[in-house]
Amino acid sequence: MSVEHPARLVIGILAIAAFALLYDRLQRRATARDLAYSNVAFFTFAARPRVWIPRLLQALWLIALAGVALAVARPHLTIPVPVRDGDVFICIDTSGSMASTDVVPTRSQAANAAARAFIAESPPGIRIGVIAFSGAAAVVAPRSADHQQVAAALAQVPLPNGATAIGDALKLAAQQLPPSGHRVIILITDGVNNTGTDPNEMAQWLGAHHIPVYTVGIGTPNGGLIPGTNEEATIDEDALRGYAQVSGGTYARVENATELRDALARLGRITSLQSKPVDAALGFAVAGALGMLVAFVLGFGTGRYP
Amino acid sequence: MTVREALLRARRRPRHLGAGSPTIYRGDGYEFVELRAYVPGDDVRRIDWAATARSGELQTRVVLEDVALTLAAIVDASPSMRIGRRRPVLDAAREAAQAWFGAARGEDRCIGITGSGVTPPALQRGPHRAFAALGEATAFDPTRLLRTARGALPRGTALLAISDWFDLDDAMDRDLAELGARFDCTALVVRDPWYDELPLAGMVRIRGAEGGVVRAYVGPRERDMYRRAVRLREEALLSRFSRANWRTGILREEDGAESLAAAFGARA
Repeated sequence: MSVEHPARLVIGILAIAAFALLYDRLQRRATARDLAYSNVAFFTFAARPRVWIPRLLQALWLIALAGVALAVARPHLTIPVPVRDGDVFICIDTSGSMASTDVVPTRSQAANAAARAFIAESPPGIRIGVIAFSGAAAVVAPRSADHQQVAAALAQVPLPNGATAIGDALKLAAQQLPPSGHRVIILITDGVNNTGTDPNEMAQWLGAHHIPVYTVGIGTPNGGLIPGTNEEATIDEDALRGYAQVSGGTYARVENATELRDALARLGRITSLQSKPVDAALGFAVAGALGMLVAFVLGFGTGRYP
Repeated sequence: MTVREALLRARRRPRHLGAGSPTIYRGDGYEFVELRAYVPGDDVRRIDWAATARSGELQTRVVLEDVALTLAAIVDASPSMRIGRRRPVLDAAREAAQAWFGAARGEDRCIGITGSGVTPPALQRGPHRAFAALGEATAFDPTRLLRTARGALPRGTALLAISDWFDLDDAMDRDLAELGARFDCTALVVRDPWYDELPLAGMVRIRGAEGGVVRAYVGPRERDMYRRAVRLREEALLSRFSRANWRTGILREEDGAESLAAAFGARA
């Protein structure tokens, strides 16, 4: 959070501190409303009065006043706001291991279906592109705001075959994305990078350029054999988590088609949000006023004699 | 029966028989107390033959020995005694002390024990000079005062102590028992002015007479808990004194002399 007028904030804090001191001083003075009692320690022991309630009201007053003071200083909060235009690239692994059937019908087909779910969840205006990668990466659908066209292009994703060049896919996506704006890469893979550019370096580069990579690892814990081979399809989860972390994204592990679709749909909502500084003066002012009103009503309602 | 008569009766009652004993000391005095059924061991010279003839059963005349009593009193004048509903409970305590010393007759001697010391024994009627001027609040240290009483008073003294007993140390039970064995002790426990109902609800501020302020919310739950705790405290105090062989009573704000008489089962 940042404030436009720090001096106002300082003055506000000083005013609140002065008010708190004055209030405390006034509270120490004996008034006719006080009940004179022989032994306060016994009273406290006997009645176990709820001392936290007046403290809570005092705290509420202070917080409410602080809210108003902040509003006067015109604060700006960095909060996730819906993006009207942004760019997303979905990188789908098409290496041989994606033909594995531990995810029904196959990992590749499940990834395709999930990509459709992602596209469906993305708000209009978001430009989406698709890259398929195995031993090399290729653009299947260039960035487009026409989500139907992109979804249709998913049919052109090649059948699973070959090695896994995660770094190359990330590099190609970075080249295809615009130099600025809200940019996101979704990486769906089941394998270990075994050729091409170092994906870790690419992830660091993307993170430095504010392009988060959301990685999705697909496959059951037992994995499965790559069809036509004796090789077992495994996931390098630590590596995928690392790419996400260094670039500012998140990692999700999915074990079936439903989980994959849900994860992508969730990403569709997340990636359509962008952290932006917004003027929060009105919000703080309203919250402060509401807090004061609540404190006043509660204090008035509970401060009565029978 | 007056307070003095009650003291004389207690003085002549064998301790091991307890309060229900029918045996009254067969003294040489002339103050008639009552007629009662003859109990084996009674002096046959005390049999009232006329009453025996009327009732058809042996009747014994009970008289009290005419002895000089030593009456001593300790009154708590600490700030906590300055609290009350309509008046400070200290006023009621002062009335009770006056009634106490007002019970003195003949050669009875009166001794006042306050925070500032022990007044010399004196023949006294009515207000005692030690308590007549209980104007200024003084700290009340029951441990010190009761130990002073134990050291300064002659055996058999009738000792009255009036306080709210907030400062009575838990370790004092042995001292209380010693005092109870040595003297005819009476403790008047000041009844909490808000014994029946705490007059507050909601957000309240309680200011202690001896310092301390607490701001809190007092609702029905707190009021119930308070009422229960006050009753338990009073019962516990009375029980403590009773165990130490003290006569006990409640000092009510409304009437100090009446409270004293009630403790003795006497008329004010």
